Amino acid sequence: MSNTPINKRERVNLSAAEVLLACGDPEGLNIMAEMFHGFGVHTPRRCLTGAEGRKSVEERILNLIVVDSALADCEGYDFIHWLRRCGIEPNCHAPVILVTGHTKPSQIFRGRDAGASFVVRKPVAPLVMMQRIVWLLNDSRKFVTSPGYCGPDRRVKAVGPPAGVKGRRHDDLSAHVGAATTPNLAQDEIDALFNPKAVSL
Amino acid sequence: MKNVQVIEVENHLAKLAREPGGRTIEDALRAAEERIESVRDISVASLVEKADLMAAATAAARESGDPESFGAIYDLSNAIFGIASAFALNALAEAAFSLCDLTDHFRSGGEVNWPAIDVHVDGIRLLATLREKAGVQGAESIMEGLRRVRARVLPATT
Repeated sequence: MSNTPINKRERVNLSAAEVLLACGDPEGLNIMAEMFHGFGVHTPRRCLTGAEGRKSVEERILNLIVVDSALADCEGYDFIHWLRRCGIEPNCHAPVILVTGHTKPSQIFRGRDAGASFVVRKPVAPLVMMQRIVWLLNDSRKFVTSPGYCGPDRRVKAVGPPAGVKGRRHDDLSAHVGAATTPNLAQDEIDALFNPKAVSL
Repeated sequence: MKNVQVIEVENHLAKLAREPGGRTIEDALRAAEERIESVRDISVASLVEKADLMAAATAAARESGDPESFGAIYDLSNAIFGIASAFALNALAEAAFSLCDLTDHFRSGGEVNWPAIDVHVDGIRLLATLREKAGVQGAESIMEGLRRVRARVLPATT
């Protein structure tokens, strides 16, 4: 997932996206803002503190939130934890990328458990950030709200419950594929799916 | 499990990003790299100021003796790591990262070793001031010293 190749000729239109950038270091925030300007974001919202970030969440609809683990008045983890539980829709469900500097494995888990969609370690090259954004564009994970966790489903790979286990959710499907319940397609039916046909529009 | 809610969420970002227009990823990456490069001087210049603030924070932490006061050194060192690594100032980034390791260890209850902190702060100030002028060999010799100090103080993690 982390090294997903991206098609560099693909177009992305972030000009109308409302992006909130939060970082406690002014120069670090500046670098982040320049990167997103380069990506085509017109006016990324800059916040040095969690308090400014919370105000932005309350005032406007945000499409992407990028948070450094160190904010001027609190930790990025606390901000994400608040965001996921604030009940301000649709912002509480917005994709969140957590950026960390000095990183211990425990901080990765802390970010994930706070509700971050992604954790990215510095230095964050534009290519790495763009890879994560493209991944988020295709992210169809459901959103989980529970007493212990609030955020995107932490099961990134949907492979179903272990073989022989029923699964705890109503939509859990077993990875085991059972016997066919309908006849196989005939070869000409398969070929028909690939054959181009003239259509009148 | 009664209190657990699992809901589908509309991906607004994907909807916007797929609107006509925009730029190719190739162009977006090039523009981002150029714009980051345009703030190199101002960002790198701030490293000296941050290193000086870190020296002051170190003096204050030594005076107070409170493990919580390592937080300020850690935060500044972490900020220096962020900027230095963004502009490939590798020796400075490594030194700052090493100081983060040390202060994190000390504030978590490890026995405080002030000379180890002092030598890191001095090394970081020197590297921040000299930058490219330190030369590869000069930077490497500073780093050799810091790596040895770190290995002595945090043997289990090196």
